[in-house]
Amino acid sequence: MGEFKVHRVRFFNYVPSGIRCVAYNNQSNRLAVSRTDGTVEIYNLSANYFQEKFFPGHESRATEALCWAKGQRLFSAGLNGEIIEYDLQALNIKYAVDAFGGPIWSMAISPHGSQLLVGCEDGSVKLFQITPDKIQFERNFDRQKSRILSLSWHPSGTHVAAGSIDYISVFDVKSGSAVHKMLVDRQYMSVSKRKCIIWGVAFLSDGTVISVDSAGKVQFWDSATGTLVKNHLIASADVQSIAVSDQEDSFVVGTAEGTVFHFQLVSVTSNSSEKQWVRTKPFQHHTHDVRAVAHSPTALISGGTDTHLVIRPLMEKVEVKNYDAALRKITFPHRRLISCSKKRQLLLFQFAHHLELWRLGSTVATGKNGDTLPLSKDADHLLHLKTKGPENIICSCISPCGSWIAYSTTSRFFLYRLNYEHDNISLQRVSKMPAFLRSALQILFSEDSTKLFVASNQGSLHVIRLLEGSFKHLHTFQPQSGTVESMCLLAVSPDGNWLAASGTSAGVHVYNIKHLKLHCTVPSYNFPVTALAIAPNTNNLVIAHSDQQVFEYSIPDKQYTEWSRTIQKQGFHYLWLQRDTPITHISFHPKRPMHILLHDAYMFCIIDKSLPLPNDKTLLYNPLPPTNESDVIRRRTAHAFKISKIYKPLLFMDLLDERTLVAVERPLDDIIAQLPPPIKKKKFGT
Amino acid sequence: MVQLRPRASRIPESAMVDEGQPASEEEEAAEHSLLLGQPSSGAAAEPLEEEDGEGDDEFDDEAPEELTFASAQAEAREEERRVRESVRRDKTLLKEKRKRREELFIEQKKRKLLPDNILEKLTTAGQTNIKKSSGKLKEATLQKKKEEYEKGSVSKNAKEKVQKVQSVGQNKSYLALRLKDQDLRDARQEAAKAFIQNSLYGPGTNRTTVNKFLSLENKRLPVKKAAAQFLNNAWGTQKKQNAKRFKRRWMVRKMKTSKK
Repeated sequence: MGEFKVHRVRFFNYVPSGIRCVAYNNQSNRLAVSRTDGTVEIYNLSANYFQEKFFPGHESRATEALCWAKGQRLFSAGLNGEIIEYDLQALNIKYAVDAFGGPIWSMAISPHGSQLLVGCEDGSVKLFQITPDKIQFERNFDRQKSRILSLSWHPSGTHVAAGSIDYISVFDVKSGSAVHKMLVDRQYMSVSKRKCIIWGVAFLSDGTVISVDSAGKVQFWDSATGTLVKNHLIASADVQSIAVSDQEDSFVVGTAEGTVFHFQLVSVTSNSSEKQWVRTKPFQHHTHDVRAVAHSPTALISGGTDTHLVIRPLMEKVEVKNYDAALRKITFPHRRLISCSKKRQLLLFQFAHHLELWRLGSTVATGKNGDTLPLSKDADHLLHLKTKGPENIICSCISPCGSWIAYSTTSRFFLYRLNYEHDNISLQRVSKMPAFLRSALQILFSEDSTKLFVASNQGSLHVIRLLEGSFKHLHTFQPQSGTVESMCLLAVSPDGNWLAASGTSAGVHVYNIKHLKLHCTVPSYNFPVTALAIAPNTNNLVIAHSDQQVFEYSIPDKQYTEWSRTIQKQGFHYLWLQRDTPITHISFHPKRPMHILLHDAYMFCIIDKSLPLPNDKTLLYNPLPPTNESDVIRRRTAHAFKISKIYKPLLFMDLLDERTLVAVERPLDDIIAQLPPPIKKKKFGT
Repeated sequence: MVQLRPRASRIPESAMVDEGQPASEEEEAAEHSLLLGQPSSGAAAEPLEEEDGEGDDEFDDEAPEELTFASAQAEAREEERRVRESVRRDKTLLKEKRKRREELFIEQKKRKLLPDNILEKLTTAGQTNIKKSSGKLKEATLQKKKEEYEKGSVSKNAKEKVQKVQSVGQNKSYLALRLKDQDLRDARQEAAKAFIQNSLYGPGTNRTTVNKFLSLENKRLPVKKAAAQFLNNAWGTQKKQNAKRFKRRWMVRKMKTSKK
């Protein structure tokens, strides 16, 4: 494979924001996750839990509730008092409707999917009608004294349970009046000064209301009489979320200590018909508050302040007991946040509201395999570029020569020109960027830094020629048919002739830049594309999908390459297919056309196309054996996939030049060190 | 004893005695009656004259002059006419004055304003812009929020109107919002955020630092290890920076002296 010097970078201070709400959609098996900075991400649970869409965040849009409505419509409500509908095709906000009740704390969609309820800060519960293109205010229910923090519909749609501070009200939907008001004890069988906040309620079809509150209790109420039926004290801290399954035989609650409890309806004795709710399983996968839980037919989903999204399939519900039934923890982003300028050894880090430009350090020492070489020159923080306005940065890129930086937010596009004199760097903004460039999902510069390619969320691709200090719009590739599909990933060939773009559903389109027209389309595959790259001389397009399949397509020949057909016939190694995290970046060696370098969060791999492929019986992960092993054994066990797990967790890995690699790592401890304070745990002996 | 303040006399001034000016008395009387809206001629005028006559008696022993009714009436009418004329003249003078002032103001204003053609452009641009921008999303440079929506409902408390004005030749757009509503909205949002912060991280919640949380296990190991974040890297940053700068300068100075 060769010897490389590796720049191990750990100064990317990436801290994801905590998860606030989670909503599961049964029809399409998708999960909508909203974070505390306003970002909403959509995960496709059947495509290997890949994040296929996301809506960038906004400082004023702190979501407190997220719901799916009939027909794949997504609504969210937040503390700015607005109900927002998201357009999942065009990846933007359709509209925002102000509810005029102050900050909105909770939202619930009726079981029929035609009505929407919001609970507001001023204690009012407002009913909205969902029309095909908008929502319309219908009426107010009786106003309560304190803020409505949780809402739940009865499955028949006649009654609504609303949890507030120190009490729960049950409303009748037709009249809008409160039928019952159930007072909740502040502390389990004792007195307390702190108010009891009802964080979640759930209404079952037999009239039972389940409430979870800040005293750590799970209580079962009878809504017909308004009385307490059963009381479970499960935690010494708040219980912050509850989600009931569709069959109503199990529900899951999440606590502030990071524990997730599973409750099930179990019969009292083995052949009696009487059933009762029993706390069956505790799961401790989080360290901080679990603020959102969801219950899919086969799995428990939880997310909280520690930024992990944990999906725990339930063993009794899973049909086939294979690797699909394992725990999935999604911590690292599924998109690339780092771009690299190879010529000047610069790295551009993308944060939510600013960009950082670093120059890599250098060393003059040499050593052998496994040595750590001392730096003669430290890494330099060259630039800290803050964005104006409340919106998050969607994507950013630095040109390979290092003289252009471009980034995009929802409403604007920014292009900067960098000038280097000795050790200083000066920045100059290119003004009057055209409006159609905003809301770009992916930005890419050509290898010679003369052209800029922008993929917008409307489905069009823009080609812009960069001149000294200004730009000229060359061409726009419009989307194919009438469908609006956002283009997520771009790749350009090093010779500048070909541009590959992948959308969310259809295949990968390859455009000819010289003639400015569509060259061919790679046949679509039912899993989304996670990484794209075009090889230097052979112009082979390498595509990685979310189910860990890697395809190689020859652009001049318009067909899959021989190697790709061979590996598809044989199939990948089973351990390769069982990897959790998607491949986010593919690159190539300039002098070795048979090598493909790719990485995901926990490994990086160099695929050598000249070596034989491994079958299921060979060892996939075989690091270099010690030199006293015979050559025969080494040759027998050598196969095409050279995997290294030295650097993990990897956020980015690239080849800088023939003998240097750069690996950007983000240890999990460094992320946890910057999170909000967790609940104190008392352990014996400390 | 309470001293009563001298009260203003209720007798009309024109009835007061003024020695040696009977004619002026009549004038005043006539004027007064004019002002009071009483008929200047006829029965009402007479009693006043008689009163005046009575007042005269106190100071003068002579008998009052004999005046025929006709002459007195004629004189009174003359007086009226003269007064009316004077009032009319005054009015017209005032009117003219006001007119002249108005014209002066208009001229000054015209000098301040831009020439007509630019004003025309502004008004037409404003109208077309309001129509165009109803569908597009425009960024607000001054305000964060932009609100443009219709509600088909009846019971709404406050509707916020938005006016979009575009200035010519600068390509900037801004929004006008009612600040009173904005303040109320911000205050409520702040209160909501404070509530969440207080209920999750405020007093009474059992929270600890991340360092202590991660170091719990280290404390219970058979060979006790240090805390997870044992070093405080943020300690003395200013001191460290000063030291670095001093070192660099000292090295440069050392190089210079060693060269010499």
